[in-house]
Amino acid sequence: MGVVKAPSRVTSSGRGTGVLPLLPFFIFTGFFLLWPVVAVTLRSFHGNKNEWTLANYRPILKAGPYFHAFVVSLKLSIVTAVIGSILGAFFAYVIVKYARGKFGAVIDSVSAVFANSGGVPLAFMFVAAFGTEGIVTTTLKALGWDIYAGHFTIFSFTGVVMVYSFFQVPLMVLVFKPAIAGLRREWEEASTNLGASSATYWRRVGIPILTPSFIGAFFLLFAGGFSAYATARALTVGTVPLVPIIIGTLVDGNVISDQANLGDALAVGMIVVATFAMAGYIWAQRKAARWRSS
Amino acid sequence: MKKFSLKWPLIVTSSLIAFLTFVVPLYGATVFSFRGNGGKGHSFINYQWLIHADGFYLNLFTSLKLAVLAGVLNLLLMVPTMVYLNLKGQRYKSLVDFLCILPLIIPVVSLAIGAQVAMPKILQNTEYELVFFFVIIALPYTYRALDTSLQTVALKTLVEASRSLGASWTRTIIRVIVPAIRGGITGALFLTFALSIGEYTITSLLHWETFPTWTVVAAQQNILGAIAISVFSFVGAIALLSTIAIFSKKGAQHVEVDE
Repeated sequence: MGVVKAPSRVTSSGRGTGVLPLLPFFIFTGFFLLWPVVAVTLRSFHGNKNEWTLANYRPILKAGPYFHAFVVSLKLSIVTAVIGSILGAFFAYVIVKYARGKFGAVIDSVSAVFANSGGVPLAFMFVAAFGTEGIVTTTLKALGWDIYAGHFTIFSFTGVVMVYSFFQVPLMVLVFKPAIAGLRREWEEASTNLGASSATYWRRVGIPILTPSFIGAFFLLFAGGFSAYATARALTVGTVPLVPIIIGTLVDGNVISDQANLGDALAVGMIVVATFAMAGYIWAQRKAARWRSS
Repeated sequence: MKKFSLKWPLIVTSSLIAFLTFVVPLYGATVFSFRGNGGKGHSFINYQWLIHADGFYLNLFTSLKLAVLAGVLNLLLMVPTMVYLNLKGQRYKSLVDFLCILPLIIPVVSLAIGAQVAMPKILQNTEYELVFFFVIIALPYTYRALDTSLQTVALKTLVEASRSLGASWTRTIIRVIVPAIRGGITGALFLTFALSIGEYTITSLLHWETFPTWTVVAAQQNILGAIAISVFSFVGAIALLSTIAIFSKKGAQHVEVDE
């Protein structure tokens, strides 16, 4: 390769030593990431007397509060992923097209903050804006629209949807921007040269190329919304029954279940759902990568 | 020939939506946080309450300490790993890539429950156990940040040059590679820091007290104070990351010029 011959140790690492420098990483992720998952899965199949059983999974699979929690969680993540992906894709397009240089960099980091601060501060901010005494609520009321006249409260399902969108949209911007930026000028020029209008270009070239990335990002948003805990916890204090919240109350011992390891089964249930979402994400990524490598 | 341009309609529409969905809640919270006693008038009373509240400094310090440790540990683990991967370990790259994506797949709640089951008692008895999990949670982001920046430098050439001049591996990494990818390193460091300082899920499920969990408890006493904390941490994070972005953008351009 290079003209300069590197010392022998650099080039001659045999098969055996090849993995050695990666050992710290593998040990670290093995112990702090994989082992906890294995451990919780194993315990979820054990009963109160430490015997092997499927009993922990029964409450999840039959109609009841735990099954219902999965339904609500799924509904929440689908709705917020739809809102997030559509709005976020729109923003990503505008940003790629018109925001460059330092302004673009600032937008990037603001998106990163918004996307990752799906947490406690977010919940309180929304209470300040849309709570019964919130600034937006009182302003709209003064203008003659009482948003609390109907069923709406910020502590309800709709409220959680609003708050989640606040981090889903910027997350979509972050994830989807590279895909839009990856659309090559030549493709648009080529189709224009062949006589296509801008609409035809988008319909026949742009959108088909972006679709896999869009689907992939959708799955990522879905998984993120499904697993989110802090925001919903701080906002609703349990009024909206979501799986992570229920796990939290079980762990805190606020709810006593006669099944000690029910929380483990719920946690494994969440991993299963998230795994399906991520399989969708990886599949879509592979499809999207076809355009990048060529 | 001037075509009809969608530029301004698009910019105006998106700015308007962004304003309504992002600026309004942030603005609302800011105004709220300056409310006076009993929600009337304007004052700094909530911020004063905040800095005098029991546990404010203690928990802020705990969070800062854990976040700094997580940032450092993350770099110590990931910089050598990523350098080796991009240099000679391509064979393992898809495996490492997969492991680094896993924290996005595994719900943090599940990871926390698993940690309770799996971690040895000696580790569970100290708040420093959180550092390890903060590093795990940051992996998807630090992997990308370091990988992107490593791919913009001629890594093989740099390493061969440095090694053939007699530098050791440690010296090569510290004196040659780290300066070349400092954009990615700053990015990875601050992402880990930002994620750690705001982390709530694992912290609360493992029953530790840090700044975010303290906020939730404090909110039960004084919701206006909690809103003040939220505004404080949000604005702080945006200011910090924007500064870093501008700063590291410069670094990245510098590297491009060098090549």
